[in-house]
Amino acid sequence: MSCVRAVLLVQSLARGRAGIRRASHLGTPFPQVPPLALRSLHCSSAPHTSEKSEKSLVPRPPESGKRLAKVPAPWEDLFHPAPGGTRDKASFVRAVQSFEQHNVHKRGHVDFIYLALRKMREYGVERDLAAYNLLLDIFPKEVFRPRNFIQQIFLHYPRQQECGVAVLDQMESNGVMPNKETKFLLLQIFGRGSHPMLKLERMRLWFTRFQHINPFPVPRDLPHGAVELATLGLQHMEPDLSARVTVYQRPLPDDVTDPGDLIQPHIVGIQSPDQQDALARHSPARPLFVEGPFSLWLRNKCVYYHILRADLLPPKEKDLEEIPEEWNLHYPMKLDLDYARSGWDDYEFDIDEVEEGPVFAMCVAGAHDQETLAKWIQGLQETNPALASIPVVFQLAGSTGELLTASGPEDPRQSQREGREEDDHLQRQQQGQS
Amino acid sequence: MSGCRLFLRTAAGARTCQALMDPRASRRPLRTCPPRRAFAKELFLGKIEKKGVFPFPEVSQDELNEINQFVGPVERFFAEEVDSGKIDREGKIPDDTLAKLKSLGLFGMQVPEKYGGLGLSNTMSTRLGEIVSLDGSIAVTLAAHQALGLKGIVLFGTEAQKAKYLPRLASGEHVAAFCFLEPARNDAASIRTRATLSEDETHYVLNGSKVWITNGGIAEIFTVLAKTKVVDSDGSEKDRITAFIVERDFGGVTNGKPGDKLGLRGSNICEVHFEDTRVPVVNVLGEIGGGFKVAVDVLNSGRFSLGSVVAGMLRRLIELTAEYACERKQFTRKLSEFGLIQEKFALMAQKAYAIESMSYLTAGMLDHPECPDCSIETAMVKVFSSEGAWQCVSEALQILGGLGYIKDHPHERMLRDARALLFLEGTNEILRMFIALTGLQHAGSILTPRIKELKESRVAIAMETMARRLWDTVGRTVDLGLTDDPGVVHPSLGDSVTKLEENVFYFGRTVETLLLRFGKTIVEEQLVMKRVANVLINLYGMTAVLSRASRSIRIGLRDHDHEVLLASTFCMEAYFQNLFILAQLDKYDPGNLDELVKKVSQRILEKRTYICAHPLDRTT
Repeated sequence: MSCVRAVLLVQSLARGRAGIRRASHLGTPFPQVPPLALRSLHCSSAPHTSEKSEKSLVPRPPESGKRLAKVPAPWEDLFHPAPGGTRDKASFVRAVQSFEQHNVHKRGHVDFIYLALRKMREYGVERDLAAYNLLLDIFPKEVFRPRNFIQQIFLHYPRQQECGVAVLDQMESNGVMPNKETKFLLLQIFGRGSHPMLKLERMRLWFTRFQHINPFPVPRDLPHGAVELATLGLQHMEPDLSARVTVYQRPLPDDVTDPGDLIQPHIVGIQSPDQQDALARHSPARPLFVEGPFSLWLRNKCVYYHILRADLLPPKEKDLEEIPEEWNLHYPMKLDLDYARSGWDDYEFDIDEVEEGPVFAMCVAGAHDQETLAKWIQGLQETNPALASIPVVFQLAGSTGELLTASGPEDPRQSQREGREEDDHLQRQQQGQS
Repeated sequence: MSGCRLFLRTAAGARTCQALMDPRASRRPLRTCPPRRAFAKELFLGKIEKKGVFPFPEVSQDELNEINQFVGPVERFFAEEVDSGKIDREGKIPDDTLAKLKSLGLFGMQVPEKYGGLGLSNTMSTRLGEIVSLDGSIAVTLAAHQALGLKGIVLFGTEAQKAKYLPRLASGEHVAAFCFLEPARNDAASIRTRATLSEDETHYVLNGSKVWITNGGIAEIFTVLAKTKVVDSDGSEKDRITAFIVERDFGGVTNGKPGDKLGLRGSNICEVHFEDTRVPVVNVLGEIGGGFKVAVDVLNSGRFSLGSVVAGMLRRLIELTAEYACERKQFTRKLSEFGLIQEKFALMAQKAYAIESMSYLTAGMLDHPECPDCSIETAMVKVFSSEGAWQCVSEALQILGGLGYIKDHPHERMLRDARALLFLEGTNEILRMFIALTGLQHAGSILTPRIKELKESRVAIAMETMARRLWDTVGRTVDLGLTDDPGVVHPSLGDSVTKLEENVFYFGRTVETLLLRFGKTIVEEQLVMKRVANVLINLYGMTAVLSRASRSIRIGLRDHDHEVLLASTFCMEAYFQNLFILAQLDKYDPGNLDELVKKVSQRILEKRTYICAHPLDRTT
């Protein structure tokens, strides 16, 4: 047994040395971004910036009353941007490297890592695997590895291990899959049975299984334009792939915005051929309703849509359509037998199905007033001539009882606020440990 | 050529006289025996109707001589003067070829002599069709002309209509076309062409367009299906289909450009538009509002002409390919010495033999004066022969290898032509549904009392059924009376006959179970019905080859031992296929993958894409 242990120890030591060498190699101050980082630079999303156009789409979360008094973190000054410098990946890397240069003994590296985790979103590197690996690389190697079974049983260097888990946590919430380098770093730092390693193994297992669990995936980077976002939302809701999106009205471009009454909200609608047919067959005696707005969340954005619907036909008016005899000249469409499927071949569950009335079209508009929606109905009339003779009733919900879009200036700070919440979370974690 | 035509006419005349003296014709009204039942429908009940099937229908020596007299000139004409390659290249049948076809009387094969046609029986026109089928384009043109275009007038026309149109159609002066398909629309009504009665009630005004009209560009006479307003028996006004005979001279008839097709390039298939065409009231075909029946009858009978002509093409194909295989050397041996090549020839011969047998058996049934409804049989012939043709041509091309892929060889043209047979005149999928549903309807209505009793779960009936099932499985020898009677099937085919009987018997049982399980909702179970149709086609093929081979042995035709060989191989293969299909029709059969198949395709159609990720994709 001891023999085996010795062999293992030798192996791990050798690996550790290699790691140290590699780490020192990585740690040399680079004038630029390391090549690995370059590769994924263009995939990382730009920092979340709110545009004017999407202001109305982002709702206001409940206002939180409490504000934590801000205490400057120990290494805050490293992240102060140089005058004229931008916050991007290169500057993030530079900040991390300067920490390593200033601090050869890596004193306070746990605090620094927590801080850097909080800053990642500002630098737009929160989905960048290389940045996380860089952070993990700050940990001193081989120091926190348990060397005997007692250390192995009890949490060895708990604060450091928790910090490592926090890094992985943030990767997890941003959907960043750890790679071999991450694993190698964690092995060097904490050893095989440590908590960060367990976390890593779990991530590698479950990420692959949950990656495509959503049957209706939403793209990771949502489009910024209101029309494009509306199109995406409508296509997301519409089950029929032959449905066509029509832009009935485009918003005025930003640069020619005149103050005053020239506001022109966008109107984007969707309708499938089946819906068109159903609308053409709809009896003019029965009114149509425009209802809404209903909310649809696409990741962190919300769009409001309206539907054009009718009431369900009463049962006696249905089934008037018979299959015309010529429908199929080649073979009979039904058998003239008076017995149907027997019970043991009937796999239908006994479900109470509540039938709803037909929906003929959907739209997303920039404004939810009747005037705008009437324009949509006018646009629909071009492709649905029957609509001209059917009365349309507008049943628009008031501003009460629904999530209202923010029209004020809070929106640009949305991302910061989210960031701050995360900060709070991390800080609380930190405080809980220390 | 006109001399030849005159000769054909005299021959036809002679045949009529002889037909008048035919004892069969005089026996007909007596009908001492029960009426003949349709063979295929009886199969659904697990019975074999021997009348009309055993023995194989024969023609008399006089008739045979007469057919051969017809066949000679036509065969010579096709061998010497028809240049199929040229027709295919130019996408048009040359006018002189058409003129000669007309002078040979081929445009009026099935028009009664009274109206200037040849008045050939189904058997005889099948024989001529074999030769015509050497060129696919001509075969399709002729089929569309006489099996569809003018068939309506022959079947439903009044005396005046027949006298007016048939002579000119029979001589080929006018070409006919049948118009029923319309451009696809989203709404349910498939026929939108409308005929409205004019105010003076002397004519109808026809408006609408039709697609996929064979001969649409060259036809003078069209049989058109259109919607008309008809006052129902209860006084309400309804839209019903009516068939009309429309001449191009009525005005307002235009046609589109013939499409550039993959195969059958010489045939003229295009759109036809009718705009305010004035059709006199006397040109209504059949009853007003009775167009549905006209259409169904014409389509049912028209199917046979296309299905039965394949045999001639296969004979020619085997000759062409065998010549190549025996001359070409590969690896110092002749191609014909390789087992895999020999297998292909066996397959071709087997298919050709079965197709021939089925075609002539069906033709004989149709020609019999007491002919019951044979629409299932004709549909089966069409399905089997079109699929057989496609398979054989493809195998033949495989034997030729790259050479067959080149335009110099007729194989590639035959391949392209044969492909069209799979969907012309009702796609094979539709015909399978037709075969299964028509048979199931027949069996279902006969079995109704029994199934109802079973459903009410009468103990006695249930016990009897269970005992019967047990008896079936434990071991019963099926005897449907084909082997006992020495007059039915020759004893040297005894083994195959037992197999046929066994298949038929268990097919009947399976149909009963299916009806019990699904009832009228079996319409929705297309995969089940496809299997039912496949079994039935196999059974019909087995019957046809057995009946034909028995006759050949008995009358001592040349090479009848080869026929026996072909018949037994075919039966053996069909038997095992049937066993497999019947097993799949069992509810809990592990070989039945229908549910999985449906699931796969549902997912794909929902997303409208091949869903799987690329094999090189990664999750990280």
